[in-house]
Order: sequence, then C-alpha cells, then structure tokens
Amino acid sequence: MFASARTFAAVAVAALASLPAAAQPAYPARPITLIVPAPPGGGTDLFGRQLAEIVEAEFKQKLVVENRAGGGGTVGVTQIVAAQPDGYTLGFIWNSPLTTSPHSLNVLYTPDRYAAIMSIGFSSYVLCVQPSFPADTGAQFLAEVKANPGKYTYGNDGVGGTMQLAAERIFAAAGARVRPVPFGGAGETARNFLGGHVDIYGGSLPPILPHVQAGRAKCPLLTSAEGNPSLPGAAGLASLGMGAEETVLWWGLIAPARTPKPVLDRLEAVFSTAARSAKFGEAMASQGASVRVRGSAETSAMIRGELDALGKVAQALGIQRQ
Amino acid sequence: MDSFGYLMNGFAVALTPTNLLLCLVGCFWGTIVGVLPGLGPLAGMALLLPLTFGLDPAGAVIMLAGIFYGAMYGGSTTSILLRVPGEAASIVTCIDGHEMARKGRAGSALTIAAVGSFVGGSLSILGLMVAAPLLAEAMLKVGPAAEAVLMATALLVVAFVSTGPAIKTLAMVLAGLALGTIGLDQLTASPRFMFGSLELIDGMSFVALAIGLFGISELLLSLDERLLQRPKTPTLRELLPTAAEAREAAPAVLRGSGIGFVFGLVPGVSHIVSTFVSYAVEKRLSKHPEEFGKGAVAGLAGPETANNATTGAAMIPLLVLGIPAIPATAILLSAMMVHNVQPGPMLLVERPDVFWGLVASMYIGNAILLLLNLPLVGLFVSLLRTPMGYLAPLVMVVCMIGVFSVKASSFELAVMAVAGIAGYLLRKFRYDVAPLLLAMVIGDRMEVGFRRALTISQGDYAIFTQGAAVQLFLGILALVACLQIGAKLLGYRR
Repeated sequence: MFASARTFAAVAVAALASLPAAAQPAYPARPITLIVPAPPGGGTDLFGRQLAEIVEAEFKQKLVVENRAGGGGTVGVTQIVAAQPDGYTLGFIWNSPLTTSPHSLNVLYTPDRYAAIMSIGFSSYVLCVQPSFPADTGAQFLAEVKANPGKYTYGNDGVGGTMQLAAERIFAAAGARVRPVPFGGAGETARNFLGGHVDIYGGSLPPILPHVQAGRAKCPLLTSAEGNPSLPGAAGLASLGMGAEETVLWWGLIAPARTPKPVLDRLEAVFSTAARSAKFGEAMASQGASVRVRGSAETSAMIRGELDALGKVAQALGIQRQ
Repeated sequence: MDSFGYLMNGFAVALTPTNLLLCLVGCFWGTIVGVLPGLGPLAGMALLLPLTFGLDPAGAVIMLAGIFYGAMYGGSTTSILLRVPGEAASIVTCIDGHEMARKGRAGSALTIAAVGSFVGGSLSILGLMVAAPLLAEAMLKVGPAAEAVLMATALLVVAFVSTGPAIKTLAMVLAGLALGTIGLDQLTASPRFMFGSLELIDGMSFVALAIGLFGISELLLSLDERLLQRPKTPTLRELLPTAAEAREAAPAVLRGSGIGFVFGLVPGVSHIVSTFVSYAVEKRLSKHPEEFGKGAVAGLAGPETANNATTGAAMIPLLVLGIPAIPATAILLSAMMVHNVQPGPMLLVERPDVFWGLVASMYIGNAILLLLNLPLVGLFVSLLRTPMGYLAPLVMVVCMIGVFSVKASSFELAVMAVAGIAGYLLRKFRYDVAPLLLAMVIGDRMEVGFRRALTISQGDYAIFTQGAAVQLFLGILALVACLQIGAKLLGYRR
C-alpha cells in the first residue's frame, strides 16, 4: 500500500512536471545496464564497452557494462531475457548462446523471448596447418582431408560450440572426416597446434595471426563466405562455391521481448551509427573483425536461419540437448 | 643494441612520470584487491580495464600488470592474520602463516612474506628477461598427454601438504576429485551432477569453495573459543623476523623462486600448483618436518615466494607466443590488442618499448610493493587488536562481497555458506581441507588432459610414453612415487 501510494505520488509529480511537454519523459531518462554474457577481456567484452562509450555521449546517460559470464554465455542471456522490458536492461551478445548452445543445452529461452535490435559485424573462424602440410590453397586443403578420412585432427573451441559446428558444416559439405579435439578456447588450441599436438588449428584469427606472420603456420581456409584482408592466402567459402555454408562469429544487441517499439527503434538507430563510426571500426579491426551493420529485421532473420542450420549439423553429429 | 641497452631504454619508458604513476596506481590497487578475500587480480584488472583505453599501450600494460603482481603480493595478508585466503594462490600460505600469527609472530610472518615476494618477483623477471623465448618453446612441447602425467605427479605431491593422518588426507583428496567432475564435461558436453541447473555448468566455483572452507570455517571456529587460540598481537619490537627465522627463510625463498618460476610455465593452474609444490619440497628438506602445519617459517617463506615468482613466468607465454595461459594474462592481452599491439613472436621487433618498458616497470613495481607493504605490516597486525565480535562479521561481509562479485550470482554465496559449515565440521573432526581444494583443481585438469590425449591417439595408450616432455614428467612421477613408497617402507615418514 505504501508502495502504491508512493507510485501514485511519483506519477502525479511526473504528470505535473511534464504537462507542457510530451506526456512521457524522453528515453533514456536514467542509466542503462548493458549485460555482456562473457568474462572481461575478450572480444565481446571489448566491443560492448567501446560501443557503450560512444553511445553514452549520444544518450547523455551512463551505460553500465555488467559481465555475467558462465555456461558459454547462456547464463547471461537467461538474465537478459528475464529483465524488465523497459529498455534499461540490454544485452550485448555474440551469436553462440543464441544459435549454438540451444542445441546442446537445456536453455530457458527461444528467439521469441528477446528482440534482436541490430548486429555490428563479424569475425571469421579460420583453419590453419603447419607449414609442412601438403596443401596450400583452400581447394587443396579440402582435397587432402577428404582423401585421408580420419587421419587428421583439428582443435576447436569446445564440443558443440560454434567453431566446431562451423568446421563440421564445411567438412560435411566437402565429404571429409576430420577428428575433432576440443580445447578450452582458441588460445589453448593455438598452443597445442604450435606444439604439434593437433594437426589443424580451428579458431578465431587473432591468436594465430602473429604465428602466420612469423612463418610458423599457414591458413588455407576461412569459415566466412568472403576472404579476409589480414589473411590473403586463406580462401573464403564463396570462392569454393560453398558460400551457403558460412558460419561466423558475430556480435549484436538484444533486449527482452516486449520492449516498447519506439525504444527499440531509437536503440537501433543510435547503436547502428555508433557501430559505423571510424573509432569503432578501428576497434573491430584491431581484433581481426569486420564491421557489417545489420538492422533489427535482418538480424532476427539471421538468428532464426542460423539456429536451424546449426541444429541440423548438431543432429548429424549426434549432439543431444541435455 | 644488446639486451642491457634495451633494458635501459625500458627503464626510460617506465620511469616517465606518467608511467611511474600508473605503476604505483596498479600496485596499490592490486594490493587492495589482493588483501580483500574473494577479489583477486582478475576482478581488479577487469575493473580498471576500461580506464586503459585512453592510455598509451606501454602505460596500459604497466598499470594492469601492476594490479596482477600487486594482488599476488597482497593475497598473503589475510591468510596470515585470519586464515582467510586473500586470493586462490594464498591457500598454502594459510597453513603455516596463520600458525605463526597464533604464536605471536604475525609481524614477522608478514615481513617474511613481503621480502620473499620481492625476491621471488625480481628473480622471475630476471628469468623472463634472459630466457623467455627458450622457455616458451619448451612450454609448447607440453601437450595433453604430458599435462596429464604432470597433474598425476602433482596429485601425489598433495599428500605432503596435509597435516592430518594419511587416511583422512585420502578421503579429502577423493572428495576433491569428485567435486572436480561437476559441470559440463569439456570433451562430450554432457552435464555431470548439475541437476538441471545452469549455475553449475562451469563447475564448482573455486573461489567460493576456498573462501568457505578456509575463511568462513575459521570465523565459525573462532566462536568456539576452546578450540581456537586467537593470534597474539605482537609488540612493536616483535614485528621483525629474528635472526633464526631469517636463516630458515632465506634458503626457502631461493628454492621457492626457482619452483615458482618453473611452474609458472604450466598453463591454467600455475599459481596454485607452484605454491604447494614449494611447500612439499620445504617439508621434505626440512630438518624439522614435524613443525610444518605448526608455524614453520620455511612453510610460509617458500610458497609465498613461489607464488610471486610464478607471475613473471606466467608473462612468458603471453609476451612470446601471444597466448595467455591464465585468465589474468588474458586481460593483459586484450588491453594490448585494443592499442593494436600484438604480443607474440614479433613483439620484441615491433614494439620493444612495450616489452622492455613492461619488464623494467615490473622491477620498479616490485620495489614499490616492498616499500608499500613493509610500513603496512604494523597497521595490518594491529587489526588483530580488534575484538573478534567486530572483526568476524566484518570479514564475513567482505568475503560475501568478494564471492558475489565473481559472477554476480547468489548461488555462489550459497556454495560459500555450505562450504563454510562443511569446513567447520571437517576441521572439528581434524580433517585438513587443503588437499580437497588442490585435488579438485588438479583432478579436473588431469582427467581432461588424459581423455584429450586419448582422443588424439584414437585410444592408443602409447601416447603417454612418447615425446620428451612426457618422458621427463614420467621420470619425475616415478621419482616422487619411489620417495613416497621408500619412506613408507623404511618407516620414516615426515
């Protein structure tokens, strides 16, 4: 009762104060919480924080970045979808907890539980081999692994993770069988690859790039349709006629479902401008990622399409939802 | 230019007023998060990471690295005074450090920890400077099979750390191994003992368990006055180590430096493993092994030195390979990449200012930490004058904030509370909880390494005999096992 009396007073005061102007205070009227479902220090965390910094200047409101790591991002996403849909809790996410984890984990959300606001861009995964490996180009690489089923091992970021599904999707399309060895992350994969404990590196670009420059690795194939300027020797899937098999790591902004449409529209506009800024472009480039801003409708369609495609790969691999 | 010239240039970078200030800020903040239980270097670095975006790359790295080794320094304080580990790597310090405090030697213990940390930290930077590329190559030879063998050796060594009887230690080790299996299995993605909860997906939280089993249980025990003898507050004159204590500490500090540095190259769990290996070595070499667990000076000096010597070595994989082997260096990596500095084989050529500036700043930072910590010894010790009725709730609240901050999850608090009560009961029945925590960390890595190796070899066990690293570790394993069995047969145990 006390609360409702207070609410009533607050409403009355607000109504009086805003009588001459619009009936509603402009969004955002107070600080916004931006949940990043990853630990501090990774690419997702960095991009989230840098976007927040740019957007703060536009909104003239603080964006508080909160890291809620755990369960490959599923813990944080669960918290985002459960938040008040008032535009004051948003999530800056990478695609894995939305499109990959639901196939192996009993997550408490579906695409209906969140609104995809926009996406900022992507980073390809890459497959790399020792300099002595008998293949230099993407086509030669696929021919070599196809001719030797089960001979080679590739390290990946984890069982049922986006990187593994990205690679398996390509191997399946090429009719090759390469044995997966899951590691705790791309850094660990790189260490074991450089030490010769696995034949093929599978992971993001940054950990392996310096070693390609130092001549200790060569990278024949990307998991994106397009090529990447920092790895001119690596073939994009489109050049091999497999563009439809693209799986990349991408980042975007989501809000709880039923967040008001005007708020979503404003967020889409402001974050899209921020993502297209030169300053943010540099931040993306420093991590080997490319800017590719997509709006709400396009990002939603991308999520549903990827969820379906990866579901089929996971099923073919015998990965079960736990 | 030779290395010496580069190092001088590094000092020129590190001694600019801005960078010196950043180093000081990093060390100071690091000491604070290290002292506060639950908050470790990771949380401390993450909090200040956004601040570094506006700095130049050398300054950013200098400040963040300062937090990292500053926290390793500060972690010993609450371990010694209250038996509450300031951060995960200070568990072993709790054992003899707190016993020393109980005997009224708190000041001496803090001084030994500070000086040992300084020596270990400085020597490890020297090692980093001289042998980094070589050691990085050696480190790459350690694959999943070698890691499994190494962890099996570490598990054998756990027995040395325990103060209790063998059968109770074994029970604790088994409990630790069991707890280590909780969570999503890395190799098959099947859930183990998660009971459908996403909270346990990444396994039991080490920080929450450690704070609960050591810290909270200690506070509960302190309510039980008959069981617990409160640490005596030393007088001002008793703050410094006696000559006898210094003589006992000196060789332990030197050995701890070496052990810490070597184990700093082991990915993932380097700080924890290096501290208890050092403890075990000191106990083996001591003429009075019966004093361990009752306030042995070497049992404090060795591990606390090793802890800080590990830090320099942990920088090697980051700087030379561009691959962080522990979470704290992963944050350093991202701070560098924001500034388009790519650590790795080309760092020394492309950005000598960052590499040598960092190395030089670590020397300076270690000196700063020593100067910062020694005058604080008196202040920290006077904490013990606070009546337990005020101190215990205060420490309890600090522990809760620290544990909550790790994942912002109330589940972690529940884990801490249950672990606290379990730890209280276990210690009442004279079970030693250190082996449980160590076995949990080691067991998980041993299992994953073992199964990963078999995945690579397609089930062929011969992989555990191939390669120089595996053979070296097998040799060490055999040696440790023989020593244990031999000691048992000869009836000479400890």
